[in-house]
Amino acid sequence: MLPLIIKRIAYALVIIAGIAFVVSAMTKLVPGDPVDVMAAGNPGMTEADKARLRTQLGLDRPMLDQYVSYLGNALRGDLGTSLRQRVPAAQLILERLPATAELTLWSMVLALSVATPIGIVTALRRDSPIDTAGTVVAVVGVSTPSFLLGVLLILLFSVQLGWLPASGYKGSVIAAIPKAIVDGRFDLLWQKVRYFLLPSVSLAFGLMAVNARLIRSAMIETIRQDYVQFARAKGVPPRTVVLKHAFRNAIIPVITMVGLQLGNLLSGAIVAETVFAWPGIGRLSVQAITTRDYPLVQATVLITAVLFVGMNLIIDLLYQIIDPRMRHG
Amino acid sequence: MADSTLSQIAATAPTESVHNVARNQFLKALRRSPKGLAGLLLIGMILIGAAAAPALAPYDPAQQVLGWRFLPPVWATGGGWDHILGGDNLGRDIFSRIVVGARTSLAVAIIVVALAATIGSLLGAVAGYAGGIVDNLIMRLVDFLLAFPFLLLALMIMAILGPGFWTMVLALSIALWVNYARVVRGEALRIEQMEFVEAARSIGVPGWRIVLGHVLPNVIPSVLVLATLEVALVIIAEAALSFLGLGVQPPTPSWGKMISEGRDFLYDAPWMVLGPGLVILMTSVGINLFGDFLRDFVDPRAER
Repeated sequence: MLPLIIKRIAYALVIIAGIAFVVSAMTKLVPGDPVDVMAAGNPGMTEADKARLRTQLGLDRPMLDQYVSYLGNALRGDLGTSLRQRVPAAQLILERLPATAELTLWSMVLALSVATPIGIVTALRRDSPIDTAGTVVAVVGVSTPSFLLGVLLILLFSVQLGWLPASGYKGSVIAAIPKAIVDGRFDLLWQKVRYFLLPSVSLAFGLMAVNARLIRSAMIETIRQDYVQFARAKGVPPRTVVLKHAFRNAIIPVITMVGLQLGNLLSGAIVAETVFAWPGIGRLSVQAITTRDYPLVQATVLITAVLFVGMNLIIDLLYQIIDPRMRHG
Repeated sequence: MADSTLSQIAATAPTESVHNVARNQFLKALRRSPKGLAGLLLIGMILIGAAAAPALAPYDPAQQVLGWRFLPPVWATGGGWDHILGGDNLGRDIFSRIVVGARTSLAVAIIVVALAATIGSLLGAVAGYAGGIVDNLIMRLVDFLLAFPFLLLALMIMAILGPGFWTMVLALSIALWVNYARVVRGEALRIEQMEFVEAARSIGVPGWRIVLGHVLPNVIPSVLVLATLEVALVIIAEAALSFLGLGVQPPTPSWGKMISEGRDFLYDAPWMVLGPGLVILMTSVGINLFGDFLRDFVDPRAER
C-alpha cells in the first residue's frame, strides 16, 4: 500500500508543477503587451512602474527561466504583488481563504446530509410517488445554476420576507461554535449562521440533487447483493440491514465522487461569492480578472487549483483506507 | 453499453430498413416517456423562440424608452400585455431581450459542444486505438486539464484573452473537450477488441480508417448523450460568465447579463431577474430531461 501512496503523491506534485508552469506562462500568452493591458485596467502606473513590472513578471526572460523564478518565489510564499491593491497577493488570499473554505465545507455538509436520507428512501421505495418526486427534484437541482438560485433566494428571503441578510459575511461559524456551547451564546452563533444560510443553500442544492441520485442507485445496487438478501433472510431487523449492511457499502462510490464535486463547489463559489458579496477567493479572482490584475489572477488560479488537487489526493488516499478491497488490490 | 440498440444497428450494414427500425424504436420509446416528451417540448419552445426571434420580439432589444423604465410585467399592477415581462432599468422591453438573448445562449452552446465533441472524440478515439505513448500523452493532458475546476479553467483562459463571445467559446471548448476524450477512449478500447475491428485489421485496413470508419461511428450514441447534457452545462456556464461581466458584451443581450443587471434592482423591479431566470431554468430542465431519456434509450442497462 505504501508504494501506491507515494506514487499518488508524486503524481499530484507533477500536476502541481504543471499548473505552476501554465500559470507562470499565462502573462506571456496575453495578446499584445500585457503590461499595457494591465496599465489600462489599473490607472496611475508610471513608466518606471511598468518597467519594474516587466522584470517582476519575467516578461523579458525566456519561458523556462521565468518559470523557475516563479516557482522559486512561490515556494518561498511570494506570489507576486497585486497591482490594484498594492499588497502581496499571498496575503490577500490568506485573508480570504477561510471564508471560501468554510462556505464550501458547509455546502458539502448540507448537500450530503440532505441527500443521504432522500437517496435511501427513494431507493427503498423505488418507483413510488416519493421516488418520482425525487427524480423531479434531481432534474431541477442539476438544471439550476447556483448564481440564479442565489439571486432567487435573496429575492424571497431577503427582499420579500426580510428574514435573512442579502449579502455579506460576519465571521466564521466554526469559530463561534465553542463559545456558543461554553457560554451558551447561541445568539452570537446565529448571527453568523444567518449569513451562511443563503450562500450555502444556493451552492449545495445542485450537489444535493446529484448525490441523492448517486446514493439511490448505489443503494439499489447493494440491496440486490447476496449478503444483504442473506442478512434479511436470517432475520436481521430491516433498519440494521439498510443502515449497517447496505448503506455502508453504498456510500463508497459516493465518497470518490465527493472529490470531483469539490471542483464543482469551487467553480460554483466563484459565481456565488460574487452574488453574495462573500469575501472569498472566488470573488477575489473575478475582481482580479475584471481589473486585469494579472499577478493576483495568477495567484488565485494557482492556489485554487493546488487546493483542488490536494483535496482530491486526500480523498483518494482516504478511499484506499476505507475500502479494504483497494488495500490488497 | 455493449448491447445498446443504436450501436448494434450502427455495427451492422447501414441499409435503409435498419435506419427505419432504429427510427421507429426511438419514436416508440419517446412516445412512452413523459420525461423525453416534456424535455422535447421545452427545447422546441426555446428553439422556435430563438429561430423566430426577429418576428417574435415585439421591440428592438436595444431600444431604450424612458417611459418603459421599470415598467411592471403583466401580472403586476400597472403592467400590460404590451410588455408582458415588463421593462428594465434602461427602459428596454425584457421579453424582446429574452427572445433575442436565446440566440446568444444557443449559439454559444451549440458551437462549444460541437467543437468540444469533435476534438474530444477524435483525440479520445486516437488515444484508445493507438495506445502506447500517444495514449499516454493525450490522457496526461486530459488529467492535467481536469486538475482545474471547470469554471476556473475557463476564467483563466478568458483572463488571458479578454472577455467576449469568441474568447468565451474558446475557453469553454478547451475546458470541455476532455469529457468526450475520456468517454470515447473508454469506448474505443472496448470496440478495438471486437471481432469486426480485428477482421478489418487483418485485411490490412490502415489505422486511421479503422478509427474513422469503425471506432467513431460506434461511439456516436454515447457522445450524443454527453453532448445533449452538456448543452445545458454550457448554457449555464455562458450565463454565469456573462453574469460576471466576462461573456458577451453589451449591447448583445444575454440571459446571464440580464440577471446581473437585475440584481441591483431586486427591491424595485424583481421581474428583471424573474424573466431571464425562468427561461434559463426552462432551457436547462428541458435539455436535462431529454438527455436523461436519451441516455436510458441508448443504454437501457444503466440504472434508472
